[in-house]
Amino acid sequence: MSQETLLTRPLKIEDLLQRNIYDVDEDPHIEIPRGSEQEGLPKEALVYLCPAGCYTRIGDEILFSYEGCVECGLCRIISPPDKIRWEYPKSGRGVQYRFT
Amino acid sequence: MRIVVGIKWVPNTQAVRFDPKTGTLIRQGVPAIVNPHDFPAVELALRLRDAYGGEVIAVSMAPPPAIQGLEHVIGMGVDRAVLLTDRVFAGADTLATSYVLYHGIRRIEKEIGKVDVAVFGQETIDSSTAHIGAQVASWLGWPYVYYVKNAKLDGDRLVVTRQLEDAVEEIAVELPAVISVAMRALKPRPVTLKNKMRAKVEKPIIVWSNKDLGLDPRCVGLKGSPTIVAKVTYLPEVPRKKLVYKPKDPKDAARWILKNLFLDEKTGPLLRKVLWGDSGA
Amino acid sequence: MSITGKFDVVVVGAGPAGSAAAYILAKAGFKVLVVERGRGAGSKELFGGKVYAQPLRDIWPDLDKSAPIHRWVTKERFSLVVGERVLTVEYSSPRPVGFTTYLPELAKWMADKAVEAGALLIDEVRVDEIVVKDGRVIGVRSGGDLVEADVVVDAEGVNRLLLEKLGLVERLDPKHIALGVKEVLRTGKGVIEEKLGLGKDEGMAWMVAGDITAGIPGGGFIYTMKDMISIGLVLHVGKAVEAAEKGLLREHVSLLLEKFRLHPYFKRIWGEADIMEYGGHLTIEGGLGLVPKKLAINGLVVVGDAAGLLLNTGYTVRGVDFAATSGRLAAEAIIEAFNNGGPSEENLRVYEDKLKSSFVWRELVRHRGIERVMSDPLFFTKLPRLLIGVMKRLYEADYEEPTILDAFIESTSEEDISLARLLFKLGSVVGKL
Repeated sequence: MSQETLLTRPLKIEDLLQRNIYDVDEDPHIEIPRGSEQEGLPKEALVYLCPAGCYTRIGDEILFSYEGCVECGLCRIISPPDKIRWEYPKSGRGVQYRFT
Repeated sequence: MRIVVGIKWVPNTQAVRFDPKTGTLIRQGVPAIVNPHDFPAVELALRLRDAYGGEVIAVSMAPPPAIQGLEHVIGMGVDRAVLLTDRVFAGADTLATSYVLYHGIRRIEKEIGKVDVAVFGQETIDSSTAHIGAQVASWLGWPYVYYVKNAKLDGDRLVVTRQLEDAVEEIAVELPAVISVAMRALKPRPVTLKNKMRAKVEKPIIVWSNKDLGLDPRCVGLKGSPTIVAKVTYLPEVPRKKLVYKPKDPKDAARWILKNLFLDEKTGPLLRKVLWGDSGA
Repeated sequence: MSITGKFDVVVVGAGPAGSAAAYILAKAGFKVLVVERGRGAGSKELFGGKVYAQPLRDIWPDLDKSAPIHRWVTKERFSLVVGERVLTVEYSSPRPVGFTTYLPELAKWMADKAVEAGALLIDEVRVDEIVVKDGRVIGVRSGGDLVEADVVVDAEGVNRLLLEKLGLVERLDPKHIALGVKEVLRTGKGVIEEKLGLGKDEGMAWMVAGDITAGIPGGGFIYTMKDMISIGLVLHVGKAVEAAEKGLLREHVSLLLEKFRLHPYFKRIWGEADIMEYGGHLTIEGGLGLVPKKLAINGLVVVGDAAGLLLNTGYTVRGVDFAATSGRLAAEAIIEAFNNGGPSEENLRVYEDKLKSSFVWRELVRHRGIERVMSDPLFFTKLPRLLIGVMKRLYEADYEEPTILDAFIESTSEEDISLARLLFKLGSVVGKL
């Protein structure tokens, strides 16, 4: 990534997350249902507000990937409790903040 | 049964970035971790101990901060650990490393008791040589089995399941033996509260320097390492399209792949050439 | 210390609140266990950038000498932004009360203090449950392991998984919560001093409001670290969800932050500084909306973010000092409880009394209702537009500029608010800010 692009256009979320340090757990610490079971999830809010961009829209469905998760808890508090299983990662895994 | 498991303390390579101006590695604030491929080895060692009794001893050649990693595996249930640490061990290639680990294991046998199995991970994320298991086995003169998926005792032999590309193989080896566990072969257990408390309170970590091992300084560390890194080339970042498609059915999926990969101006000719030796058209 | 025995106190979470409590209790001779889910204390911490020093000195008198202080905040700025037009107010003072730092560093320093004082810190372990037996809290459970204690200090942070399981609090209501997203920019040596007119150890805290949040109530922040700058956005979650679900928000939150980084007025400061880290965290919107009905029950006290103790007035944010102070007060209450016959609910509720007569509570009460101000579009959208409109009329005239009064009248009519209503609204909130 050259310096010029850093100044000329916004970085995509994937490129921002690449700057972080993770020790990704093998097991997902967050799970959401698939397909029609997703009825009731605030899909647009999950897609646009999850700071790590873990939720992607594919047609009517949202796909979830936990690897870039920053463990903020946003998706948990805006989703119906029966539509999301949310825990912190085990064994110290997940995002490893150095600065902030 | 006494099981030794090798642990490497490695930089979290996923977190290492390049300075685009100088082309050098930015190591600032990059934490070290236990080599992720060592966890299946730890898990197998713990399963053997849980099944047949005895103890698991983690052994690592590393600078003192590696104690954090050894505490992590004690937190998973490893009984105790040995840290082999000395300035003269620094800069070692796999030959010099395996030499120190070999003497570490010999000293464990002398101080603690006979070792039945030495377990290693398949390879490390920072160098990926997959040498250490084989080299330690050579120094010890023990049989060596790699790509191990699972193991169980059968009398005084170890029956080892190997995961090969197109087959699963079972081999019985005489003990003592060295085995290397395949990447992702076993899911490691988490760190538990009581185990981690034991790591912090009882501090079951023995530290041996070269004063204890008494090795010839010419055989360890940088001096004992014949490996020469001739040149390092950094590959430029490849821009990816990052396309995601949700197909309706397999047919739809095949059609999409055909269109986006095989009929694509750039990837199409390349793919056809690789797969079928097709030169174009 | 043995690992099988019971502890006097188990603290859940090694953040500022948990470590302050653990430090004071361990120093008083209590047998304290701190359980932290992250790898080492601090690795899961994220905040804006500024800490009020004095409340921390009350706990750690050697703060100035040994804490990881980056810069003392001698300059405070507040900016209103509409498009490329920016109105900035700066206050400069020789008497800084706050400093900038990275919370992972500061939290580690605090936890180290607790460990030096004799607390046992166990990291990489998640507490799954606060265990209740016969009407009192008896300890914590993690996986299959139970550790017993006379008192549990819940310092789990803003996501109150344990307190919810215990039934002590409801699920977090998005209308009381804000989402913070942040980038750390590496400027290199000397840049901060040169671009912002700061001395070597001098720092700046800079709050920004206006259209950088795409119409969602919230704002931006800029903090100067040693040789890096933290920038971020804070968005009201309730309103942001509404906007997203209605289709009014069509950009990912990270893109809003990137646009802030690339805003022509601000980007001159950090230029081509590399982005070192990107993160997100939930924070409390302010007011008393998230304070649990009970802060102490039989065998349990709640401190820090978990206790809903954070203040965001729009021009400053206080979280770390409130958290540490609540930890200190909880520890003092626990010590008194032990001296007065044990940690019964009645004895532990002394913590509530202490908290309610502390500056933390007075600040929260004083600024009560701030949430309503912070989520009122009048203040987030209209007021910046109005004031920028006034400035534009005063400074962008080629020949004749209006009087200030006329500029105000013209600008208010353009933004469709009456000056009288605005003054009335301002008058009604000024007492809450």
